[in-house]
Amino acid sequence: MRDDSFSFKLKRGFGILMMLAFAVFAVFPILWVLILSFRPATQLFVPIWETPFELTLENYSAIIGTNFPFALLNSAITAGASTLLALLLGIPAAFALSKSRLSGKFLASWLLLLLRMAPPVGFVIPLFLIYINSGLIDTYAGLIFAYMSLTLPLVVWSMWTTFNQIPNEVIEAALMDGASIWKTLVKVMIPIARPGIVAAAILSFLLAWNDFFFALIITRSETVTAPVAVMNFVSYASVDWGAIAVASIVLTLPVVPVIILANKYIVQSLGGAVKG
Amino acid sequence: MASASASAQLERAYKRMLIPTFLAVGIFAIVPLVGMIGLSFTDYHLIRGFRGEVGFQNFVRLWTDGRFMESIYVMCALSFIGVAVQIVMGTLVAVGLEKIVPRWRLARGFFVIPFAVPAIVTALVWLSLFTPTLSPINAFFAIFGIQIPAILTTQTGAIAAIVIADTWTTYPFVMLLILAALQGISTDLDEAAAMDGATRIRAFFYITLPLLVPALTMVALFRFIETLKHFPLIFVLTNGGPGRSTQATNYYAYVQTFQSSNVGYGSAIAMFLFFFAGVISLYIAKRNARLADA
Repeated sequence: MRDDSFSFKLKRGFGILMMLAFAVFAVFPILWVLILSFRPATQLFVPIWETPFELTLENYSAIIGTNFPFALLNSAITAGASTLLALLLGIPAAFALSKSRLSGKFLASWLLLLLRMAPPVGFVIPLFLIYINSGLIDTYAGLIFAYMSLTLPLVVWSMWTTFNQIPNEVIEAALMDGASIWKTLVKVMIPIARPGIVAAAILSFLLAWNDFFFALIITRSETVTAPVAVMNFVSYASVDWGAIAVASIVLTLPVVPVIILANKYIVQSLGGAVKG
Repeated sequence: MASASASAQLERAYKRMLIPTFLAVGIFAIVPLVGMIGLSFTDYHLIRGFRGEVGFQNFVRLWTDGRFMESIYVMCALSFIGVAVQIVMGTLVAVGLEKIVPRWRLARGFFVIPFAVPAIVTALVWLSLFTPTLSPINAFFAIFGIQIPAILTTQTGAIAAIVIADTWTTYPFVMLLILAALQGISTDLDEAAAMDGATRIRAFFYITLPLLVPALTMVALFRFIETLKHFPLIFVLTNGGPGRSTQATNYYAYVQTFQSSNVGYGSAIAMFLFFFAGVISLYIAKRNARLADA
């Protein structure tokens, strides 16, 4: 269908302009922080178009001397470990929920959703009190456990929908060939479900990597994560914008290529709950 | 054919697969949950400790606490305005990508980037854009002699600021899911409508949009529940201010618990929020069960 009328072209032109505006809205803040991260302290409050070539790497070298790299490592360790553990426990559970004839599946699905939606402020109060009294405060284990209360429901929920899409005949055939149910899961189901697993892993990692609230409450100096450590650059007296910009770029950098490459799988994983 | 005993054995194996997760959820999630419920019936204070049973007093206090009532007002403003803006914008971009600029395949990734940006980074980036002395937007308009007022200094402005920052990082979520729903809608319908002489815009409103309603409802519910939990944006952009004017309920629970040390009362506020999560998740779980049966 072609439509060459003037009014159609006008409307189309307007539509393209609108899309360009949205694209600018999406990308502009990121470009702005990128620029900010290369601006020397003396030029921060001078518009970039007045001194466009006053750029420096000193913000990047300065941040190496702070605790931020250490906090990044903490973030990677806790997000990675809580994702790995959630996959390890959650995949068999999701498989069982999807394929067994157990009763109480509805209750399980409600509970999983509820845990995904529950406000963390409620969780974190008792957690904080337990951790203070048991010495788990400011430890890797404490933070990883806290993150598992986020990542495990997410992994089980999204893998449950993934496994639902694999026909039962696949399992029956494997069992018929004499494979145990565990072997069927590992050798047959997991390879088929790989895209779903990748998506669940990414979403779960992002959830922990992006967390601010849990880390704010249950870490101190030893296991402080990067999102909380950034706030050290914001003090009552002054805000170190150069350091904040660098930290923002470094925190965002690892997740951007992942989300661009994997957004198709992620839609399927998120969509499990939204389909209809 | 699997025999009856073989199938019973299989069911037992499935049950064993569930045990680790069952225990983990029990310890990491149910224990804190029960703790929250328990604490909400006490007057536990971080420094003074327990002073006695209070029963339902915390919940009675909620209804007479002006700050709590104001926090609900702020929460509703943030949630309703935020979700409405995000749904409209996410749908516009999704429909635009699909119908206006289908050739921007590679550019689609750009629209998704803000979704991956950590909440704290979103907050700090927008704080820099809302800081008049630093913001390139203010500097740009200053060339033309236009002074942009500091948005974070009034309640309306601060709420708008939080909504803008939140929209930036979450409309891609709406967009992705609406894109997926759009791809499930046959283009035959559009063509049939065009044959009948309907304009594209009319075809969108009368054919595509009604078919998107179920997906839109779910996305809106998911977004709604997330907006009830705003924390990093408020913490960084406004710290609940100016004054207390952007202390949404979730933030008020944090302030009561960790700044005023009123753990018991803070838990009661958290319970109030938890109730919403319970109702909405029950609705979604029921809906999914119905779809699975159909």
